[in-house]
Amino acid sequence: MSTREMVVLTDVKLITCIVQRDAAETIIAAARAAGAQGATVNYARGMGVRERLGVLGFAVNVEKEVINVVVSSEQVERVFESMYLAGNLDIPGAGIMYVTPVEKAATFIPRSVRDKLAG
Amino acid sequence: MGDEPESAAQRSRHERLRYGDFIREVNLHQQQVSYNQLTPHLEADSEGHYKDYLPGKLILDKADVGRLLGPFVSMRFIEQARAVLPLAIYLALFQMVLLRSAVADSWLISFGLFAAIVGLMLFMEGLRLGLMPFGENIGNNLPKKSPLWLVLSIVMLLGIGVTFAEPAIGALQSAGAIVDVRKAPYLWVLLNQWTDILVLSVGAGVGLAAVLGTLRFLQGWSLKPFIYITVVPTLALTVYLGLHADLHVIIGLAWDCGAVTTGPVTVPLVLSLGIGIAAAAGKGNSSLSGFGIVTLASLFHILAVMSLGLYVASTITPHEIIASATQLSATAPAAAWWQRSPVMEILGGMRAIIPLVLFLFLVLRVVLNEVLREKHIVIFGLVLCVVGMIVFNLGLTYGLARLGAQSGGTIPAAFTAVSTVESSPLYGFMLGVFLAMIFAWVLGFFATMAEPALNALGMTVETLTSGAFKKRTLMMAVSVGVGVGITLGVLKIIFAVPLAYLLVPGYSLALVLTWLSNEEFVNIAWDSAGVTTGPVTVPLVLAMGLGFGQAVSAVEGFGILSMASISPIIAVLSTGLWVQRRAQLRTRLLSQMPADSKGAVA
Repeated sequence: MSTREMVVLTDVKLITCIVQRDAAETIIAAARAAGAQGATVNYARGMGVRERLGVLGFAVNVEKEVINVVVSSEQVERVFESMYLAGNLDIPGAGIMYVTPVEKAATFIPRSVRDKLAG
Repeated sequence: MGDEPESAAQRSRHERLRYGDFIREVNLHQQQVSYNQLTPHLEADSEGHYKDYLPGKLILDKADVGRLLGPFVSMRFIEQARAVLPLAIYLALFQMVLLRSAVADSWLISFGLFAAIVGLMLFMEGLRLGLMPFGENIGNNLPKKSPLWLVLSIVMLLGIGVTFAEPAIGALQSAGAIVDVRKAPYLWVLLNQWTDILVLSVGAGVGLAAVLGTLRFLQGWSLKPFIYITVVPTLALTVYLGLHADLHVIIGLAWDCGAVTTGPVTVPLVLSLGIGIAAAAGKGNSSLSGFGIVTLASLFHILAVMSLGLYVASTITPHEIIASATQLSATAPAAAWWQRSPVMEILGGMRAIIPLVLFLFLVLRVVLNEVLREKHIVIFGLVLCVVGMIVFNLGLTYGLARLGAQSGGTIPAAFTAVSTVESSPLYGFMLGVFLAMIFAWVLGFFATMAEPALNALGMTVETLTSGAFKKRTLMMAVSVGVGVGITLGVLKIIFAVPLAYLLVPGYSLALVLTWLSNEEFVNIAWDSAGVTTGPVTVPLVLAMGLGFGQAVSAVEGFGILSMASISPIIAVLSTGLWVQRRAQLRTRLLSQMPADSKGAVA
């Protein structure tokens, strides 16, 4: 019988990126290339720029994808930046992204990694 | 852990000060701006109330507009180009390499194809922005607010409206000009003088199908009995018409309409309405409820068109038609300005969309008393729809139809003498017919593989059958089916086989297979025929068939599309039976094995 234990991670940041539908895939690929371990996508509806663009607003999809990426505080700048570039967030209406501090996180950590860190 | 807020704040301040680390991590030039500087500052009036903030309109400079629209437009353009260009290139290459004749009017055709791509792109976008909000709004609200009979009658009218709006229906109307009145008087009269009534009866068939499909949603009826009671009388009527001396020529037209009506307008609009109704009745859970309408829609109007043919036959005799036609061609010197090329397409495009929109708008305002949100974008979408339809119609006339007719007219040069091709026949009869068959098969196979709707269907099917029916298997089955169907259709024209000889055994076989298969596969198989015939394939194949028929001087060149509809049904049903049988065999094998080795096999 092995006792179950939990590893709590600190120095964690959450990058949230809200973009138009179908844009998430390339952004996640960029985030992973920059070292992010994984991402979660939610579907959502958003509004704001679309209304203010008038007729041009048709090019902005109301359906959004919300990408959540958990990264370490050392990676955060690099991942943040490559997601920005991959998502072309400098285009009007393309989306918005932000970083929030995360107090702690826990997930599956392979035993070998755990042992190495402990040792 | 457990930092006090103060020390956390200090730490983050400390982090921000590590400028060297920051620079090493960052490649972009970052400029920090306080968000406070960008948000509006509300000012209180003298009583201390804050006024509501109204954001002004964003004005973009030209570069930003370009960056906003550039990727948006190019993505959609490429999507449509992918459906059109491979087919066009294939047709042109086949004509130049194997038939050794240059593509005539190549500039005009290229321009036409470009127009078709642009038109489709605009139309699809307009559909999404302009028409779909209506469909969704009505689908969600109508069943909640109105009694069932009103819902069903609106569904019926909508079925008629969407048929007129279907882009490929124009191809059918333009096909009428080629028919020789002396050889097929009733076909000529249906396509030339009764065109509107023809489309109307097709629409009525679609409407009725939508009504029954909706009822099927609500009651959870099986699709099988619907298929039996529709196909059997349709086949009976086909046999009756096939025996009739003058009427057998309209069989091809009647069956071909099926492929035309189930296009990019009908399917999503009718489906969104049906799904809305089912959801409102609380019965939208069945993942299969979306199927069936398309099938019924493509069967009912066959009945409708054939009945119309019978009606026409009972009112006028062939001699009267021929007399009036010769009189017409003698008295009418030239088409009026509104019947000539660019104007006709413009009027056609407007006539297709505007009544549908007016009807939807009336339902929304009068019956539902709802207001549309984002009006300017919806209006813009509708304008896109109309413009897209017009441009697509132009592309249809100058590009798709012309190219299809041309290659249809040139291919017979492989095995018989054709006036436009020197030294034809190019090959021996057997080899030539064989080449034409290969050509037809490849055309059908790849046109279907490229159809985006099939991809979507494949994914649905894979999820529905939890992986038993793979997406690839379905796509292969349908594409091979369409390839074989188009090949059979071409053979039908070459050897002048009456269409009934092919349709009656084909559909009888399909009925037997339907009886053997389970409900899910029946739904998938019968619907797969409808989705494969998109707005590009239909006009191209229709025009090809007509040109082909003209070149080998057949009476009519219809029938290819109907063969392309029945073959995938049979292909998918048999594949389904095979998949099912394999699954059964495996479970039987498993049950025979000792319990401990089961895990290893599974």
